[in-house]
Amino acid sequence: MKLRKYIAFAGMAVLMLCSCNEMENAPMNKFTDNSYWTSATKAQYVVNMAYSQMYNAGRMWSDESLSDNVYDGRSVDDQRAIRKGMGTPSLDIFKNEWKDLYGGIKTCHVFLEKVDLVPNMDAALKARMVAEIRYIRASLYFRLTNLYGAVPFFTEDITLEKSRSVSRTDRETIISFIHQELEDIKDALPTRDQLSEEERGKITKGAVCALQARVYLMDSDWSNVMLYCDNLMNKQGEYGTYALFPDYAGLFDEANEYNEEVIMDRSYVPNLITWGEMVDMIPLSRGGRAVSRVPQQSLIDTYLMLSGKTISETGTDYNPAYPYDNRDPRLTATIIYDGYDWSGNVDDGSKNVVINIRPGSGTDAYDGGGNGTSTGYFTRKYYNPQAPGDQNSGMNIITMRYADILLMYAEAVHETSGMTEEVWNKTIRPIRERAGFTADAALNFPIGKSKEEMRQIIRDERRVEMAMEGLRWYDIKRWKAGNKYLSGKVRGASFVDENKLDTRKFEEARDYLWAVPISEINLNPNLAPNNPGYGN
Amino acid sequence: MKKNRVYTVSSLLAWIGGNSKFWLVALPAMAMLAQAPVAYANAEVTSVVQQSNAVKGSVKDATGESLIGVSVTVKGKKGVGTITDIDGNYSISCNAKDILVFSYVGYATQEIAVKNQKQLNIVLKEDTKVLDEVIVIGYGTTTRKSAVGAVDQVKASMIEDRPVANMTDALQGAAPNVVIQQRSSNPNDRKTNFNIRGISTVNDNSPLFVIDGLIADGGSFDKLNPNDIENISILKDAGAAAIYGSRSSNGVVLVTTKKGKKNQRATVRLNGMMGWQNPDILFSPVKGYQNATLRNLAATNAGEAPKYTPDQIRDLAAHQDEESWFFDQIMRTALQQNYNLSVSGGSDKTTYMVSLGYYNQESNYVGNNDFGVQRYNFRTNITTEVGRLKLNAIMAYTRNNSVSTTGGNLEVDAARVPTYYYYKMKSADGRYLLNDVLSEFNPLGSLEAGGRNKYRNNYLNANVNAELRLIDGLKLRGVLGADVINDMRSTRNLGVAYYLNEEATEPRPVKDTDYRTSNWNHTAYLINTQLLLDYNKTFGKHNVSGLFGVTNESFTSSSNDIEKKGVDPDLGIGTDITNSTVGNITGSTFVDDSNRTSLTSLLGRVGYSYADRYYTEFSFRYDASSKFHKDYRWGFFPSVSLGWRLSEESFMQTYKERVGDLKLRTSFGILGNQSIGTYDRFTVYELYNNSYAYNNQTVSGAGFKLGKDNLTWEKTKTFNIGVDASFFNNALNVTLDYFYKRTNDILMKPLVPTVFGTDMAMDNIGEMQNQGWDLSINYRLRTGSVNHNFNFNIGDSWNEVLKYPGHERISQIEELSRLTREGCPLESYYGYKMDGFFQSYEEIEASAIPVGGKVQPGDVKFVDRNEDGVIDSKDKFVLGNAFPRYTFGFNYNLKWKGLDFGMFWQGVGKRDMMLRGELIEPFHANYSYNIYKHQLDFWTPTNTHARWPRLTAPGSTSNRNNYGNGQGSDLFLMDGKYLRLKNLQIGYTLPKTWSRKMGMEKTRIYVNGQNLLTFSNNSFIDPESTEFDSKMGNSGANSGRNYPTLRYYGFGIDIEF
Repeated sequence: MKLRKYIAFAGMAVLMLCSCNEMENAPMNKFTDNSYWTSATKAQYVVNMAYSQMYNAGRMWSDESLSDNVYDGRSVDDQRAIRKGMGTPSLDIFKNEWKDLYGGIKTCHVFLEKVDLVPNMDAALKARMVAEIRYIRASLYFRLTNLYGAVPFFTEDITLEKSRSVSRTDRETIISFIHQELEDIKDALPTRDQLSEEERGKITKGAVCALQARVYLMDSDWSNVMLYCDNLMNKQGEYGTYALFPDYAGLFDEANEYNEEVIMDRSYVPNLITWGEMVDMIPLSRGGRAVSRVPQQSLIDTYLMLSGKTISETGTDYNPAYPYDNRDPRLTATIIYDGYDWSGNVDDGSKNVVINIRPGSGTDAYDGGGNGTSTGYFTRKYYNPQAPGDQNSGMNIITMRYADILLMYAEAVHETSGMTEEVWNKTIRPIRERAGFTADAALNFPIGKSKEEMRQIIRDERRVEMAMEGLRWYDIKRWKAGNKYLSGKVRGASFVDENKLDTRKFEEARDYLWAVPISEINLNPNLAPNNPGYGN
Repeated sequence: MKKNRVYTVSSLLAWIGGNSKFWLVALPAMAMLAQAPVAYANAEVTSVVQQSNAVKGSVKDATGESLIGVSVTVKGKKGVGTITDIDGNYSISCNAKDILVFSYVGYATQEIAVKNQKQLNIVLKEDTKVLDEVIVIGYGTTTRKSAVGAVDQVKASMIEDRPVANMTDALQGAAPNVVIQQRSSNPNDRKTNFNIRGISTVNDNSPLFVIDGLIADGGSFDKLNPNDIENISILKDAGAAAIYGSRSSNGVVLVTTKKGKKNQRATVRLNGMMGWQNPDILFSPVKGYQNATLRNLAATNAGEAPKYTPDQIRDLAAHQDEESWFFDQIMRTALQQNYNLSVSGGSDKTTYMVSLGYYNQESNYVGNNDFGVQRYNFRTNITTEVGRLKLNAIMAYTRNNSVSTTGGNLEVDAARVPTYYYYKMKSADGRYLLNDVLSEFNPLGSLEAGGRNKYRNNYLNANVNAELRLIDGLKLRGVLGADVINDMRSTRNLGVAYYLNEEATEPRPVKDTDYRTSNWNHTAYLINTQLLLDYNKTFGKHNVSGLFGVTNESFTSSSNDIEKKGVDPDLGIGTDITNSTVGNITGSTFVDDSNRTSLTSLLGRVGYSYADRYYTEFSFRYDASSKFHKDYRWGFFPSVSLGWRLSEESFMQTYKERVGDLKLRTSFGILGNQSIGTYDRFTVYELYNNSYAYNNQTVSGAGFKLGKDNLTWEKTKTFNIGVDASFFNNALNVTLDYFYKRTNDILMKPLVPTVFGTDMAMDNIGEMQNQGWDLSINYRLRTGSVNHNFNFNIGDSWNEVLKYPGHERISQIEELSRLTREGCPLESYYGYKMDGFFQSYEEIEASAIPVGGKVQPGDVKFVDRNEDGVIDSKDKFVLGNAFPRYTFGFNYNLKWKGLDFGMFWQGVGKRDMMLRGELIEPFHANYSYNIYKHQLDFWTPTNTHARWPRLTAPGSTSNRNNYGNGQGSDLFLMDGKYLRLKNLQIGYTLPKTWSRKMGMEKTRIYVNGQNLLTFSNNSFIDPESTEFDSKMGNSGANSGRNYPTLRYYGFGIDIEF
């Protein structure tokens, strides 16, 4: 009896002693599923997240490393291993890209599934957001299918069960979906000219056209490439006004972001949203750290002489003793070579700074090891003098620009009916003029070239104009030119010990596609077999 | 009357609980009580002495030393008593038929009948009755002989006077299967793994810490002053730990802090310890010219041009006397100091203890004399009895100060630069220099000029405990505890100007982002309330005990972090107006990161024993945690234990007399673990600042993390069987235990195809078993006037993963590879097995090599396990495991008159240790440019039975075969067993007569050393260092790239008066 009373008092006492937290406590600084989809602003946050997952500087530079433009000389990273012919399904890069791209697709699908929960949302605003999301999803699938070929394909949020059993869909189905999507959304999007200043950087009708052209280009569907390029060249009233920016080097200046040449870019903001790859690509004396990704000699060799001649054709004025003199000005805007007039070409306030790379010439000298360059070159394009010392740059990465449209058009015309002077003068000529060529021989339509010679001219023009912009690997891939460009000895400047550079190996039957990550096949056997040529 | 009083107390407690203001008043008042008992004790001594009908005498120990403060009471008469004075004398008034009781801590209590004597001189014997030793268990105590759980005791004497940095250090080797691995000796960044009985989950494996009955935040244990510890009980099996329910599966560490003793005069203890710590760098580079020569060999072996010309090498050889290694340049010997002052004592109703502690350990990094840590401890413990009520108040405050460098990778950056005389970190005129190895910053610049992190951590613990004796044997206890934690960090990153070379006039551009000011504040409080009913009564041969309680623990924390880039040039910090693009706050800033949890529990224990022979005990805890959804919130954790003292049986009478005590015990129960994030069950959307931008204006993005409603506890079924035996009249005590644990419902993320797009929520899916044994042996020996004490303990555990998402997972840590596979121990080393080195081209021709590989004689040959002619992933083996096995500790103490000697050895009997990077591979991966002395036994055509493969340049195909194939091989595998003399101490206690002359009761001086000797199979790495945390996760600093182990030499003094 007594005991019971004690217990009763005790219980009471404990209850009152409790200054305890409640058992039901949801997080106070995070939204839960129930409290999130309440406003257009919050829906917009998800759209913003999707934009950030669409593309980034890391992917651009990684793609560049897959090509013959650059060489990752410091350590054997995955890109370099692939080019050495050592790609295996367990490489991290295969796993990580796969994961990141499907992560982006998840964001898109969650948005599409949940956006209707937002009460009283403006219909036009919603339609535009949905169109942006579908564009982003199309871009992600495009990248996926470019890298891996047939991939799991679904258009709404996938369940866990399905993710464990989904099989791969052939590339054609995905590509036609992409075209259909882009066609469906284009009218829900504004043109570049309709964008308010605050909206610069958003997806436009012009970006839809450019992506259409690029997707058709991958399949060499020339008539559609011409169709969509023509939209941007000749129907600018409907698709937005674009033009070549007058200054090639200036195109990659932070001050000139969102200029008339840019169709789509990936946004970065100084100090707040930055990318940092540059620190391992520039001379040590200018703040470089451990130089890894450096240009290859074959890229340097592709730049024309100012006279319009290549460095090797008969009658060239190329002088191997002064290999960088009288070259296409885009060389100087893209690559740092021995004797580079830094102060003259980089507006960073320095005076009389020259980059010397010859062995024994100082800090930036090639010495065959350590933290310096392994090919005798550094990268200039996308170097941003406004970036702080750690090179974390706020410069946007241009993903599609008008020059690319002109070059795609030129290539498509040449591949169908052959290049004409008229088309040349609308495409290659303005690009060369803008680059700074003045010699007639460089600007005028070259007469008497065979179809193959003209093809090479157009391809080389594309290589130098678009160098360091992440496109080269995809060009080689669609040209099926892996053996031509991606095998054999990597070369550097004349003073480089070539024994230290890789010999690349390209398997035509295998290397145009990446392997589906082995870890994913292990989780979902329906993803097997892997792409041809890849073991386990 | 009785009833009324109870009523009053209960309602008082209730009122107190509702009135937080009461505590504001009460706590200081209780602290002030500390003064009172002193006066009280004096008064009583005086009054007793004035009695005329007195018995007088002295109390001495076996060696003839007077014992001061021995309690002398009259049996059966409450409130009558005295204590011996400074000369061991006492005087007490009593009747001729009374019985006097003499009791003193550490000595056997004696009862002497007065029998009309006026003078009674007593010799107290040291108490060696291990069986009656009090054992602290969950929510109570028991004795050694009745303990039925697996409980280890660590006494104050094991901890005191050792130059340990914190409590975790002090426990290393102290008890079997208490596995403590020190991952970094950096005083500013101490990292230790604490495992009790191995690994039983893939989640948190650290034990639960309970300090003076209150469950504490894990970090609080190391905030204690080791000198304040009276006793540590380590609860290992279900029988002992189940009463802590949902958090007990990794074992429980119960800490009892010191308190005053009843009827003890005020004793002041002062001790000081001071010593020096030397960084013990175990590997060293070769001379510069040798390095250059060997680097040329590596290059030419790989078909590359040599890096150095003969002239350059001659130049290096000519200047070899000017060489100095950067690693040596950034480390120094540092001072460590430790001072403690305590006052304790008590009357027959009240005891008190007040202590102050100060600990200061300098960093061994050069560059800033402020680098290092200081700890200030303050503690009071007051107990008083008022009638049936016993009140106990503990108040403790700890302040930790720490100043550390903002630099990172200092050791490896310093170690990887060759010792060439022309490499300097600082020019003669004080400019920091770069070179072709360190092209961004150098360690000395970071240390001297890079700024600092400053931590100011406060910890306040208040613990009020009221115990009311209700009826005989039944007690009601109410406990209110509060831990208040307030941590601050201020970081000042400064840009350092580095010059590309000594001639350079302009520094390398200094990063704006290197100038960063950030402040972080964290506040947390843990409120602990308990109400317990405790019953214990003996009826003849039957003993019945019972405990029932309700408790709640509420934890609340919140923190904020603000960071600004760029600083005001005059103030050196960011200001309110530092708001330009450069000065904008960065993404890591958060205003409120908060966390609230609550755990409400019912707990109980029922015990019955018969004739000190048969014991049975049942205990349980019923926990509800706010981390789980309400339908899955409650968990029940029962245990049952049985004990049988065979030696009490009549048929064992001869055994008992001739051999000693023998007890068998066993227990079975279910223990829990709730190691998930507070809000893991919710799907949450998190907003991220600066996710994207339009028109260069940043916008936020939202991401989400999936949660799952039906999460619940991990449950560990635990079985234990043990035997306690004593021999030679209790001089030798042996305890042996075997345990088996099986953990179900381990909280893990299911393996999800990345096509799913995000991580899946945690789920109860894993399963693991873990078993092993503990053995401890204690032997006391007296030879003449020499006392010896031997303590040895050893334990082993091994685990096996039973269920794992995807059945197995291979993970890569740079060149190493690990495997978690069902049927194997968690995170085993995995990779190829070496079959020596290729000795000839013919051998290569006839052997399997990796796909796409190209090798030469002197390169590593791997075993083609499936004999398919190629080395690929199917040829891998499970190569070993990094969790220590056969961990042991050995403590030996010797006392001879005033001299004492103690040594403590500790080690690991079996452990596999894989290393990677520059300590294995010379000129590692274009990162390190050194070859170290231990790497010189490499393969050459004339040294074909070498330890290491031939030298090859980084990036070459041979190099990739040998080191960099990303698959791991047993080339990296080392034997990690070791034996270490952890501590050595020699002391001398001055004869009392000398001490007295100086006004002291006891004076002891000693010298001591730590980490003095290590026996290991690998000369170049501390065998204790590990790159894995307590759940075998990869934890960063690895393969010797960490702060060197410290060797300590010092001295100290203990004074008592």
